[in-house]
Amino acid sequence: MADAITVIFDIASFTSVMVLIVLGLGVIASMMGIFNFAHGELVLLGAYTVYLSASAGLGLWFGILAAPVAVGLLGVVMERLIIRRFYASPIIAMLGTYAIGLVIREIVRGLLGGNYVSIPEPISGAFTIGGINFSIWRTIIILATLSVLLASWWMLARTPIGLRIRGALENPMLARTCGISTTRLYSLTFAFGSALAGLAGALIVPLYQLSADIGIRFLVQAFLSVMLGGVGTFQGPVLGAGTVGVMASGLPWLVPPVLADPLVFLIALVIVKLRPQGFIAAGRS
Amino acid sequence: MGLIVTPFLLRDRLDLVTLMTNVMILSIFAISFDMCWGFSGIMSFGQALFFGVAGYVIALIGRDLDFSAIWGVLPIAMLTGLALAFVLAMFLLLGRRIPSAIFVALGTLTGSYAAERLVSGWQYVGAGNGLSSIKLLQLGSFEFVEGFEFYTLALLNLLVIYLVCRFIVRSQFGLVLAGMRQNEERLAFLGYRVQVFKALIFSFAGMAAGLAGALYSYHQGFIGPGNMGPGLSTAAVIYCLLGGAGTLIGPVIGTAVIELLSYGLSDIDAIRHFWPVVLGLVLLVIVMFQPSGLLGLVVSDRERIGSFGASGRRSTHG
Repeated sequence: MADAITVIFDIASFTSVMVLIVLGLGVIASMMGIFNFAHGELVLLGAYTVYLSASAGLGLWFGILAAPVAVGLLGVVMERLIIRRFYASPIIAMLGTYAIGLVIREIVRGLLGGNYVSIPEPISGAFTIGGINFSIWRTIIILATLSVLLASWWMLARTPIGLRIRGALENPMLARTCGISTTRLYSLTFAFGSALAGLAGALIVPLYQLSADIGIRFLVQAFLSVMLGGVGTFQGPVLGAGTVGVMASGLPWLVPPVLADPLVFLIALVIVKLRPQGFIAAGRS
Repeated sequence: MGLIVTPFLLRDRLDLVTLMTNVMILSIFAISFDMCWGFSGIMSFGQALFFGVAGYVIALIGRDLDFSAIWGVLPIAMLTGLALAFVLAMFLLLGRRIPSAIFVALGTLTGSYAAERLVSGWQYVGAGNGLSSIKLLQLGSFEFVEGFEFYTLALLNLLVIYLVCRFIVRSQFGLVLAGMRQNEERLAFLGYRVQVFKALIFSFAGMAAGLAGALYSYHQGFIGPGNMGPGLSTAAVIYCLLGGAGTLIGPVIGTAVIELLSYGLSDIDAIRHFWPVVLGLVLLVIVMFQPSGLLGLVVSDRERIGSFGASGRRSTHG
């Protein structure tokens, strides 16, 4: 029983990480229809911000708060200068964002000197319920993911800006005719997605060592999550991330870990093949 | 033709002969990607999958069966690439519903990433260390070692692949591909089964990539998980786009430029450390400003096969 709860807690904490990363990717993919290959590197930059802040003596918490802001601002710059040229052609967008990601990743690799850096958990230790230990930081990640989900949902469903976003998503042309600047909305969405990536990076870096490849390891899984859940909805990618997260952290308990990784990809691809529109199809289109 | 006289000029620079051999092998690989993307509009983000698997297969045949006769292993490598690509094409391209371009791109990427993860954890194939000291390629009792012999072999293979591809893209089949690239929907309305054509060319490209992978692992004497992952797959993309996608000489030029520059500049520390950054910037500049690559600077878009003096392929950036 105790073992089972530990496993479930492990799965839940990994799934939250997955959801946190996928949320930003899914928002961008739904809104602009591009798959941002640089998303992993935005996660990396979030993690790197925490490292910078810690080594500058500003502390971990400042870094965690600064990460979404810094990465979000970078997102705006990226969108303004480069990404907006690619909206018409998703495949070219893949190549372009891959190139951006490559540049960011290799620059950070150079700055880190190819090393792995351990970042301590801001609140370390564990608490005990019924004789089972729970890591505090992992619990915080789960809670943070839930609150980010709730806040994003509230923003999309209940605020004027959310209304505009939903409008632009459903019919960009009509939204423009109604005087909604889709260009501005796209910048905003990209910044929002980037900020989420930055936050994700800042939160997960204590769990994984900081290295240039911290983002790329999640990238393929994140893409599959978005495809699995369906582009164009809020719930879809979250659901997809949940599925992939549970599979990726649950399968190693059932089959040899060597096989688990490719098996996750295979299962996800087969599901996408059978249900190309995703778990939740976008509304009327 | 310069490639034929090169070895005589480089008689005493064996390292450069080796480098040129490498360039030609990677050129075959780049051409195989170009057949997918440049000629047929299939974004194969996992071309290295066929390259790597074929390399592993011939390495294992050499190790476990002690067999490396050229008339046997090269066809085996090509068949491996062909079969693998065909299976992948069946899954990704064929089916009742027409798959989205994104699905194909991500599917190939996932395939190559999954394969990399699988072999890097599999002890039988050397796990993360890959397979080294691969049995030398043999013709009778003659062994191909690095140097002029292998150079000739790579050159012959490149020529054959180049000519076969040239024949394909200039045939009626190639015209269908060109039409598919320009307006897939219209071609489908004309009664062509577009997905079948895509699957065929994808399988052919897999075969060429398999050949390149086998030659590469014999030449290097090594094959590792990195040789089938997204890293090498995107290298093919960069080679091809830099030289000029949709032409056959473009990928060769792109490969040569990148590999020679990387070799020539590797003495400078700062550049060596940030070489991938340079590659990333090159790719970014190409997709943003010069979609026709280096060749586009010299040859106009109108010269492309299937253009017939029309406005050329549709603009690749919006």
